[in-house]
Amino acid sequence: MSLNPRSVYIIAKKEFADNVRSRWIVALIAIFLILTIASAFMAGGGSVGEMDLTVGVLMTISSMLVPIIAIMLGYATISGEAESGALSVVLACPVRRIEVLLGKFLGLGSVICSSILIGFGISGMIIAGTTGHAQWGGFVAFILLTMLLGLLYLSLIMSFSALLKRRVTSLGAGVVVFFWGMIIGMVMMGLYMSTGGNLNDFISGDSSSVPDWFYVEVFLSPQDGTQTAAMLAFGQTELMGFEFVVPQWINLYSLAFAQLLWTAVPLMLAHWWFQKRDV
Amino acid sequence: MQDSPIVIETRDLTKRFKDVLAVDSLSMKVRKGEIYGFLGPNGAGKSTTIKMIMGLFHPTSGEAFINGKLVNGGGVELRRDVGFLPERISFYDNLTPIQTLNFFCELRDVDKSVVPSLLRDVGLEGAANRRVGTFSKGMTQLLGIAQAMIGAPSIYVLDEPTGGLDARWVKAVRDKLRTLNEQGATIIFSSHILSEVQALCHRVAIIDNGRLVAEDTIDNISGGLHIRPRLWIQSTGLNEKTLSWVREIEGVEDVAGKGDSMTITCDAGARLRVMITMQEGGLVIKDFRTVEPTLEEAFVKLLSEEGES
Repeated sequence: MSLNPRSVYIIAKKEFADNVRSRWIVALIAIFLILTIASAFMAGGGSVGEMDLTVGVLMTISSMLVPIIAIMLGYATISGEAESGALSVVLACPVRRIEVLLGKFLGLGSVICSSILIGFGISGMIIAGTTGHAQWGGFVAFILLTMLLGLLYLSLIMSFSALLKRRVTSLGAGVVVFFWGMIIGMVMMGLYMSTGGNLNDFISGDSSSVPDWFYVEVFLSPQDGTQTAAMLAFGQTELMGFEFVVPQWINLYSLAFAQLLWTAVPLMLAHWWFQKRDV
Repeated sequence: MQDSPIVIETRDLTKRFKDVLAVDSLSMKVRKGEIYGFLGPNGAGKSTTIKMIMGLFHPTSGEAFINGKLVNGGGVELRRDVGFLPERISFYDNLTPIQTLNFFCELRDVDKSVVPSLLRDVGLEGAANRRVGTFSKGMTQLLGIAQAMIGAPSIYVLDEPTGGLDARWVKAVRDKLRTLNEQGATIIFSSHILSEVQALCHRVAIIDNGRLVAEDTIDNISGGLHIRPRLWIQSTGLNEKTLSWVREIEGVEDVAGKGDSMTITCDAGARLRVMITMQEGGLVIKDFRTVEPTLEEAFVKLLSEEGES
């Protein structure tokens, strides 16, 4: 498969420039900055808390917010532009569809990644400066995991945008994609309880009584996977009073690999559907 | 032009959407240097065919070729030499026309210095820094035409290029197409406006219900349908008797009266003799007009024959 990197770059640059022009990127940076500082105060109980505790709090909201942002940025990329007719002018140029797809993915992906990096980065420095010490290893891992989460949801929603005919239906798909993590969490919990599981064992972190298959959930729900990975990155075993213990086979590497698969497979599907599509 | 190379060709091109056969085994050839009109009523399959030629729609069966290369599978480079204007064009609302054309220049690997002159060509230089989202339909259309001219391609594929434009710009666009053609460009454009096609095209394809009904020069299509040149005359005191008298004049093939006017079918060369004979016979000619065969008639006749068959 041949690919012209120049075309990918031109498309990516346009997507990125659009979000700079519309000040979206500034708004995102501000949101991430405010959230982190607020989480730090929450974790520190009135003063700026330690990084690991801050991330524990921040994670609960950023694992919702980042997917929403990715879905908002990506749902109309193909279906919306095909519907309006803008895409047909682009595709009449000497560019390949895969170049358009990758350009959009990389352009919007860099909007997500750069706003996370700047927003979290600045707040990380503020936390490190006020608390006097920092767990940079864990914090950098958290930033990378959050970026990956953004790319993952971008890839997921773009696959639906490539498949579905209309802008509104792909927005609908975005809602389903967003709730997928929660849906699968509920299903797994239901299975656990109906097979004789005990909620107390689960909360107290008595992992010996929780069956192994239940933990597969963190590979099926990208949001839970990211949260778990961030906790592991800091060596955390407690989150807001809940014990948090997972089996050995769930570690930073297996989780990151699962997240990468969640990103790569939808992107390949998006390519396949986009190629077949009438624009 | 008969011997010019073929730049666009379709072979048994077919497109089916679920239970609708939008384009049905369409085969046509556009030769280098032609203005080729693609004519048919709304919903005839013009846009679908054009989108298949541009590789935007995948044919259900059959093939399209540009410069002898297969559109689906022939790579993307074959589109470098093609300027395209889709039906109901749309751009990115948040960009200005300059930013829009800059973007397409980059995609086509053309120097951006051409942008100001392209905007001037379509009369949008005054709106160069407005957002395209605030544009009227006509202005967007004009920007679309400027976009199609990026890189001075030798082939233009235009879907309803004058749709949505007011009369002043319709003329400007027609003149532009003629100029581009004189400079050597091959142009294929679709229209449901017959007079437009008649004024511009060397050859036309007429399609209806996804099928090619005719593909020829306008003269040949009219000739083949026996649509004859006519003479319209206004007079006074016309009645059946005068009409049958006129019918007897040498060179007159047919006469149809309506109020105080009549339409006479006769060869162009016989018109003057017919009028002189009428005057000498005492008929007062108040006004007259020659009526050339129009594509409109050919169109109506072809489509009705198509319907009967």
